[in-house]
Amino acid sequence: MMAPLVRNRIRGMVIHAVLFIVLGFWMVPQVYMLSIGLRTPAQAFDAQLFTWPVTFDNFVTVISDNPLGLIFLNSLIITVATVAIVVAVSSLFAFACAILRLKGSIFLYTTLLTTLMVPLASMVLPLAILLKNFGWVNTYIGLILPYAALGVPFAMVILKSFMEDAPRELFEAARVDGCNAWQTYWHVALPLVRPALVFVTIWQFIVTWNEFFLALIVLTRSEMKTLTIVPMQYSGLYMANPGALFAILTLIALPLILLYVLVQRAFVRGLLAGAVKG
Amino acid sequence: MRAGSVTTAVERRSASRASRLYLFALPATLLFVVFIAYPIVWVAGQSFYAGTADRGTVFAGLANYTTVLSDPTFWTVVRNMFLWGIITIPVQMLIGGLLAYFIERHTHALRGFFRTMFFLPVVTSVSVISLVWVQIYAPYYGIAQEYLKHIGIVMMTSPIGDPKTAIYALIVVNIWQWTGFSMLMYIAGIANLPNEVLDAARIDGARGWRLAVHVIVPMLAPATKSLLLLGVIGTLQTFPIVHLMTGGGPNRASEVFGTFIFKQSFVLGDTGSGAALSVIVLVIALVLSLIQIAVLGARLSPAGKQDP
Repeated sequence: MMAPLVRNRIRGMVIHAVLFIVLGFWMVPQVYMLSIGLRTPAQAFDAQLFTWPVTFDNFVTVISDNPLGLIFLNSLIITVATVAIVVAVSSLFAFACAILRLKGSIFLYTTLLTTLMVPLASMVLPLAILLKNFGWVNTYIGLILPYAALGVPFAMVILKSFMEDAPRELFEAARVDGCNAWQTYWHVALPLVRPALVFVTIWQFIVTWNEFFLALIVLTRSEMKTLTIVPMQYSGLYMANPGALFAILTLIALPLILLYVLVQRAFVRGLLAGAVKG
Repeated sequence: MRAGSVTTAVERRSASRASRLYLFALPATLLFVVFIAYPIVWVAGQSFYAGTADRGTVFAGLANYTTVLSDPTFWTVVRNMFLWGIITIPVQMLIGGLLAYFIERHTHALRGFFRTMFFLPVVTSVSVISLVWVQIYAPYYGIAQEYLKHIGIVMMTSPIGDPKTAIYALIVVNIWQWTGFSMLMYIAGIANLPNEVLDAARIDGARGWRLAVHVIVPMLAPATKSLLLLGVIGTLQTFPIVHLMTGGGPNRASEVFGTFIFKQSFVLGDTGSGAALSVIVLVIALVLSLIQIAVLGARLSPAGKQDP
């Protein structure tokens, strides 16, 4: 009979090994993408996950041939503006519901929540017509405001539940000290829910950066396009040259992956702090 | 203000201050009214009108609905959406839940590494993912046919090029992309399990598999309910993977609501039937969500938070 300690060690090693094997399979698409991007034209169509030797020529070519910086900037402007609006608007609303407890705010809250049950697929046609009437096709604002409207309900749920969990005495103390509602919001409520704000910011950033359906319809002029909708264009352009295509796909996917790796600790911390309560 | 009271200057001032507090709720309400509520009302109205030759519209009653419902593609879409949800949601829960369990309870130093790596497909642009999977599935030069033949699966064509298999091949991609999300939801659930309950169960002799199945799984019910709710909405709004990988083909075999609405509205320019389809999708989403909320008691929040 084995000592429990030894048995635990062995079990831990087996579990790690299995996790690594599963992860190996899980990473195949990304590894494959990078691998094709690193191939010479002669190897580009080899049905292998890895080939040798590797070359960085494809990356050099696609970077010098395409306005990737401009496309990146479009994505960045739309995403940052959306995130800023969502965080500001949803935290104000959550404050009105959870702390000010305005009359009728719970009714409004429930109404806004129904947005979470609305699939985007049923919204693209009416939104497209609305934006056309506003003259907002091919503008940043034409994506930013609909994205914000779609993002606010989720953020609001999380921020409201955090504010409700915060000790009420703090808000009472602020009132006694003569803080008005705005000061209480800014100096008490927001700092208290910081992990939730971080979580909401990161999640909204990911969702907005990767949104495809509405961007496809609203952004038709090539100089307005975002990173998410340009790949189709390149798949036509580089049809005979998979090396270049997959190099550019790698570059398109990279910014958000790097960003996530940088912020994942704060993201998961917000999640574990109760942003999503199990 | 109390009825019948004389309005004094002081009361008026405090009333105006109280109403000024509604400014906190105003921006969110405005966004909702302009970009969610108004478009929904508009599309519902538009679904009763049909376009005319001179680019005007004429009241058509339920004609758009009968046209859509008698289109065989509509029923292909319904079948595909059913398959999509019924396969994707439980498989993601199962894989995501297993990953979460082993990562949270049996790893320490590498916990952050595994959490991040399995989540990466979620943050990888869906259009990039779609093109990579087209390459994986490709006949002759794709790696799927090359490696699967070693385990006895011979693919003569691309699985997305065959009407019989296309939808399943797309479902695989969707599962792969979103399992990390299920995993993270369960990780949050497992990390927040009260230790006292786990200790009590352990003292009662529940260990390993028994502990997982009889204690942990039931306690993760809120996360499961949230994933179900999000899974249904996610299924109904499926678009990019299908649009980019098959375009709803071959021969419309992999059409989903997203691509169907896209084609009717923006390719054919048939606003009437596009609107009718939008309303149908909306109604399906609302009905399915309300059934879940009624039957499972799932709260309409992605947080799945329970009242203390």
